[in-house]
Amino acid sequence: MLRRRDFIKAALAGISTLSLHPLGWSHSDSSSSWLWSAVDDAQGHQILGYQPATGEHFRIGVSERCHSGCRRPGHPQVALFARRPGRSFHVLDANERREITRIEARSGYHFYGHGTYSPDGRYLYATANRIHDGAGLISVFDAEQGYSLHGDIDLAGIGPHELRLMPDGETLAIGLGGIRTHPDYDRVKLNLDDMAPALLLVDRRSGTILERHAPSHHQLSCRHLDIAPDGSVIAGYQFQGPAWERRPLLAFRSPQGTYNEISLPDELTDELRHYIASIAIAPDAHRALATAPRGHRALLLDLDDGRLVASHSLRDAAGALPDRQGGFWVSSGLGAIYRVPGDGSAPQQLEALNLSWDNHLS
Amino acid sequence: MNYAFVSQHLGRFGLAAILLATAPLVAASEQAPARDRWHEAIGEGYSQLATETQALATHASNYCETSSSESRATLEASWLDAYQSWQRVRFVNFGPIEQQSRAWQIQFWPDRKNLVGRKVENWLKADTSPSIEAIANDSVAIQGFPAMEYLLFDERLSEPGALAEPKACDLLLAISTHLAATTQALQHDWQTFGEHYRDTQSYTAATLEAGFQTLDTLETKRLAQPIGLAGSAANAYLAEAWRSERSIKLIAASLVGLDDIFLPGLRTLLNDAGQQRLADTFAEALDDARRQANQMGAGLAPALEDPDAFADLQRLYINVGQLNRLSREVVTALGLTRGFNSSDGD
Repeated sequence: MLRRRDFIKAALAGISTLSLHPLGWSHSDSSSSWLWSAVDDAQGHQILGYQPATGEHFRIGVSERCHSGCRRPGHPQVALFARRPGRSFHVLDANERREITRIEARSGYHFYGHGTYSPDGRYLYATANRIHDGAGLISVFDAEQGYSLHGDIDLAGIGPHELRLMPDGETLAIGLGGIRTHPDYDRVKLNLDDMAPALLLVDRRSGTILERHAPSHHQLSCRHLDIAPDGSVIAGYQFQGPAWERRPLLAFRSPQGTYNEISLPDELTDELRHYIASIAIAPDAHRALATAPRGHRALLLDLDDGRLVASHSLRDAAGALPDRQGGFWVSSGLGAIYRVPGDGSAPQQLEALNLSWDNHLS
Repeated sequence: MNYAFVSQHLGRFGLAAILLATAPLVAASEQAPARDRWHEAIGEGYSQLATETQALATHASNYCETSSSESRATLEASWLDAYQSWQRVRFVNFGPIEQQSRAWQIQFWPDRKNLVGRKVENWLKADTSPSIEAIANDSVAIQGFPAMEYLLFDERLSEPGALAEPKACDLLLAISTHLAATTQALQHDWQTFGEHYRDTQSYTAATLEAGFQTLDTLETKRLAQPIGLAGSAANAYLAEAWRSERSIKLIAASLVGLDDIFLPGLRTLLNDAGQQRLADTFAEALDDARRQANQMGAGLAPALEDPDAFADLQRLYINVGQLNRLSREVVTALGLTRGFNSSDGD
C-alpha cells in the first residue's frame, strides 16, 4: 500500500497533471468552479451546471437520460454521455451555457456513459459496445475535427464502463464491467455465467493492454474508478451473484501495479448491497470516497492503507468529486448536494434542489 | 434508511407491541418486524408460483399426450393461474430474482421488437426440437410466460391442432419445464436469502421502494401507455398479455399481490410510526383498485373500443394514481425518500 512519503513525492511529481484536472482553465475563469451532472427533474432529462461556491445553477434539456461527463483540458467544454445503452454524447460550452454539438453513436454501436479527454484536449475517449458481437471498445473522437471518429481501441473484453487517464497522460485505466447487454434486450445481463471483468490499463495510442487485473470473483463487475497523482487507482465493483454472498466491493491498484481488494467490515458490506456507484480521490486530503446508493452511504477511505475512515449515512448517494479543499462534493439522487470533509467529520448539506442527480459529478 | 431511523423505530417497538397486544382484533403476527413479515409472505408467494408453474408443465404434458379440447382449456387456465401468481410477487426486484436475470426469464416485457414472436417462430421453423437445455441457453424472450402465450394464443397457431404438432408441443414442454425449474430455484434461493434479508436494514427501504415502483409502473407503463394517457395515441400492443387479452387479469393479480404480500409489512411499519390512519387509507385505496380491476373484463384492447369499458379502465387508472399519491405520503410519514440511483443505477 501507498506510504505517505511516496505519496508526497508523487503529489509533487503530479503537480502539472493536477493543474490540468480542474478543466485546465485559468483559475480566474469562473467556469472552473462549476460542477456538471446529469439530472432528471419535473421537465425530464437535463444536464446541470452547478457552482458550489454560490449555489448558482442552470440546466440544459437533453432528450435522453445522461450519466457521466468529462472536462476538456484547455477549453471551456464539457462532454456528457447518454446513459447506457447511450446513443449520443453532448458537448457543452460552459461559458456560453449551451450545447455546441451532439454526436451520435454509429449505427450498430452504443456508448456506456463515460469518457475522458487526452491531456491536450484533442482526443475524446469513450467506452462503447459494438452491438453485433458485444466487443468492448474505446471509441476515439477528434475534438479538433468536429468530434469526428478517429478510431477504435479493441479491449478484448466485454462491457467497458468508466475510464480515466493515468498521470503519465498516455495510459487509460478502464473499468471493464464484463457484462454483455444488447439494446433489444433492454438492460438484461446476457452472460452472467461467464463474465470476465477486469481493471485494464491500456496505452491510448497503440491500444496495447499493459495491465489486466481480474477481481476475485468472475461476477464482480469492475465499473468505476479514480486515479491519484502517483498512479494509484481505486476501483469500485458491483457484484452480480447471489445477494446473500459477501464480496469485496473496492480494489486498489498500487503505483507499482499490484492489485488488492479492500475489505470493509462485514456488516457494512452487507448493507451496501453489492453496489458501488462513484469513486473520487482527493489527493490533497489523502482520501478516496466511494458512494453506495443502495446502502445509502458515502465511504471515506485513507489512501495510504485503504483504512475505512468514515461511513456516512447519505441517502441515495450518487456523484462524487474532489473539491480541491481537502474534501469532496457528493450529490444525492434525492436532490441534495453535500460537502464531505476529508477528516471524517459529518457531511454538510449545501443545498437541496428539486431534482435527481445521476450517479456522477464531473 | 439511515441507522438513526432504525434504532428509533426499534426502540419504540417494544411499547407498540404491548399496546397492540391488548387490542383483540390485531393478530399476533402483526407484531413481527416488517422484514420478517415480508420474508414470509414473499416466500409463500414464490412457493405458490413454483407450485403453479409445475402444474402448468404437467398440464402442458397432458395436452401434448391427448390434444383434447378439455386438456387445452385446462392448459390455458393453468397458464393464466401461474402467470397471475407471478404477478403477485413480481414487485420483488431484489434478492434471488436478480440472479440470472430471472425476472426477465419469467416475463420478457416490454417487447417492442416482438422478440418473443421471432424467437418462437425460429424454434418452430428449426430442424430439431429444442431441449430444456437449449431453452435455458437461449434468449430470455423464449423462456417465460409470454413465449407460452404466443404458442397458446397467437393467430399464427390458431388452426385447430396447430399446437399439438410435435414441434410446437416440444417447444411448449421445454419452455414450461424450464419455467418450472426457474421458479423452483427462485423459491429455494429465497429461503437461503432469508437470514441476510432479515438482518440487513437497507432491505426495508428496498422492499418499500419495490412496492411503490410497481405502483408507478402500473400507472405509467401498464395502463397509461396502452390506453393513450401518456402523451401518445392508445396502443393495445403496448399492454402486457395483449395476445391472450388478459392484460387486466395480470394487473388485478399485481394489485392482489401488493395487498396480500406487500401491505402487511408496510402496515407494520406505519403502525409502529403511529400512522395507523394512513395505513388504513392506503389499504382502502388498494382495496378499491383491486375490486375495480376484478370487476372488469380480462383484456385491455376490447375496452379501447367500448365506451363503458373504457370508463372502467379510466377509473382503474385513477385508482392506481391515487395509490401512487398515497405512496408518497407513506414515504414522508416513514421519514424516508424514494431513491433514484438506489433503485436504478448504472
